Amino acid sequence: MTTDNDIILGIDLGTSNSLGAVFTPGGPELIRDADGAALVPSIIAFANGKVTVGAVAKAQAVLNPLSTVYSIKRLMGRSIADVAAELGRLAYHVTESDSDSVRVDVNGEGLSPQELSAVILGEIRRRAEAALGQPIRRAVITVPAYFDDAQRQATRDAGRIAGLQVERIVNEPTAAALAYGLDRTAAATIAVYDLGGGTFDISILRAENGVFQVLSTHGDTHLGGDDLDGELIDLITSEIRERFGEHLSFPPATRQALRQFAEATKIRLSSEPTATVQVDLGEGRTYERTVTREEFEQRAAQWIDRTIDACRQALADAGVAVEDIDEVVMVGGCTRVPLVRRRVGELFGREPYTAINPDEVVALGAAVQAGILAGMQRDVLLLDVTPLSLGIETLGGAMGKLIMRNSTVPCKASEVFTTSVDGQTAVDIHVLQGERELVADCRSLGRVKLTDIPPMPAGMPRIAVTFLIDANGILHVTAREQRSGRTAGIQVTPAHGLTTDQVDTLVKDSWVNAIEDMTAHRLIDLRNESERILAAIDKALARLPKALTPPQRKILDASVVMLKAKIGGDDADELQAAMTAANDAAGPLTQAQMDAVLNKTAKGKPISDF
Amino acid sequence: MTDSAQPVRDKASPGVPAKCIACNHELNSPVVCDYCHTLNPIHSLTDYFQVLGVDRRLDLDADQLRKKFLALNRHAHPDFHTSDTPEVRELSLRVASTVNDAYRTLSDPVSRAEYLLELLGGPSSAADKSTPDGLVAEMMDLQEQIDEAPDKTRLAATLQARLDRMVDGLGKLFARIGADAACEAVRQSTLREIRHHLNAISYLRRLVTLSESK
Repeated sequence: MTTDNDIILGIDLGTSNSLGAVFTPGGPELIRDADGAALVPSIIAFANGKVTVGAVAKAQAVLNPLSTVYSIKRLMGRSIADVAAELGRLAYHVTESDSDSVRVDVNGEGLSPQELSAVILGEIRRRAEAALGQPIRRAVITVPAYFDDAQRQATRDAGRIAGLQVERIVNEPTAAALAYGLDRTAAATIAVYDLGGGTFDISILRAENGVFQVLSTHGDTHLGGDDLDGELIDLITSEIRERFGEHLSFPPATRQALRQFAEATKIRLSSEPTATVQVDLGEGRTYERTVTREEFEQRAAQWIDRTIDACRQALADAGVAVEDIDEVVMVGGCTRVPLVRRRVGELFGREPYTAINPDEVVALGAAVQAGILAGMQRDVLLLDVTPLSLGIETLGGAMGKLIMRNSTVPCKASEVFTTSVDGQTAVDIHVLQGERELVADCRSLGRVKLTDIPPMPAGMPRIAVTFLIDANGILHVTAREQRSGRTAGIQVTPAHGLTTDQVDTLVKDSWVNAIEDMTAHRLIDLRNESERILAAIDKALARLPKALTPPQRKILDASVVMLKAKIGGDDADELQAAMTAANDAAGPLTQAQMDAVLNKTAKGKPISDF
Repeated sequence: MTDSAQPVRDKASPGVPAKCIACNHELNSPVVCDYCHTLNPIHSLTDYFQVLGVDRRLDLDADQLRKKFLALNRHAHPDFHTSDTPEVRELSLRVASTVNDAYRTLSDPVSRAEYLLELLGGPSSAADKSTPDGLVAEMMDLQEQIDEAPDKTRLAATLQARLDRMVDGLGKLFARIGADAACEAVRQSTLREIRHHLNAISYLRRLVTLSESK
């Protein structure tokens, strides 16, 4: 049973869709529901006192626009200023919170993106538990390669809030390469182009003999299918205003409807030259319009151009020429857009590889990584990189780089700090991520405060601070005062995330959930154990039909009937009692079986051998 | 005083602790035992050449270096230690990050030269900012050429060729250290010369990047 509980679930937590997969001896396998669907729309609905996730939530989105949350991934680890540009397109309300983070206002309650993502993760986990018939407590979660430290931490915190032990954060394009290249033996240089619902990544990898080494990665965590949909929404809304009045406003329900129209139109234009949009504006006003693929492509081109620039940068960073690329793997639903395939094909001078399902390959790769971590894939070595340079604020607001982008992780850098005032006992370090020269142009990861420095004249203390980026791409800071040899105290204040205390509180707050989860886990465990006991009793009875006296047999039969009845029920305590009773009643049978084995084996051998 | 994984970069680098903590087998790389694959704690005096188990020299074989890097990661990477004790997991993180830092530093010939110069006790770029005689005049000539015929492609190619020549020249300079080791004064002046050479390389690298980006 312990090995069963060691299952690590691979989760692709996407902007538009999420899904899970597990590693089996036959390779990675997707978790599917009863209808065979693997994709769960990353949409949460809060209606009638109930929380629903997925297709059900999506279906009622237009009816409850204010309490339906979608594209939450775009808000993960972000400040209100970061996401200001797209707030107008969201049908739900986003407000600013302390430590420069955001909250989604749902029915008057402010929920963090981490909590909302946790709801989606919980749903994926629930589906996996139902499909596998066993509890799941550990997970590998994928993130865009270009996610910064704050976004990665937010994802990890979401996992914790969902009650999952997050064993690894894996980059989506890397996961895709793992799934794509697992069964291929020939050495190859692969480019993974990943255009999802909200994010874009390009990664260049070298794969040979089970080694997957990322050479470089580039991307944009705010560029994806949502932006292409946005172009269509802008087109439609501006034309509606032209036709029906400049001052027409779009209430949340209309915004939500427009979003769904735009998405449907984009998908239709991938296979058809034209698509027709019809919007009922009420009061007998109807907007109808046929959008051609050319029109859409003209508007989409600026976004695709940005991805092509990022590809060039990634190639340069990898020190790889276009001709050296052996395969271009397409990932993410948006790579179905013909313009995307055309432009990527032009850049790399080859037809992109599209034989794998672009929506599923990342989850499959997450399961492969889970297999590696569970020790089921000893021959695969994955070496990933940090997407952004890490540095600290130096004099005059400049960014002093300590770890360059595309460094293989884990990696580290050390820097010695001192004091500027006599008797100073604390030093403040501003930690940043980014490529620009000025602090103002980089992402602030937060502040590290070195404390407990022994009072000394200015410039005397030597505090060696080590910045280590782990295999998840997450930063760890440690410090040591070199003269005293003492570990210096450290306080980290994240810029856009939740503090450790806040996450702990959220984990505790979900104790109701936790008890339900624990009950669910216990029920699944007990059911499995009961089935095992029943099978063992059947087997023993068939083998030794005369082992029990009639009264013993009567008791056993009754306890088996009882146990079978309780397996179907929802009460863990009753099931536990029935299981114990059956186990006890089977005691004489078990004893008889052991005696039989002993007798058989002991023939001709001295008893002292046992 | 420090037990951090960062190698101490002084010119006197004694041999690494030679036996594996687990099987007492002689260590080829000080961080991972070739024999039983146990991770060994990193001795504070270990340098990056020792970490990867290669000779301390400028001309290293790129393929061999990469093979060592991958072989060490096959045992050191945190992916293979998820079910170990917290102590071993922590050690894996330190060893793997040191192996990665070592490979990043040594796989590029210029950063390898910088690192080697530091190990040999040469001046840092902050301490000595000079460039070789003639470089300034050469760059002024080049500036004139650019003003007369602003052909970006040719300029980039010229700069790249100049840079390649300078990187190739590093070998000869380092070879002199070995030959002249007896005389400290000559040794010091060669180290300074290498410093100036490396300063010129980093200047040219910036120029190449600029000429490509415009």
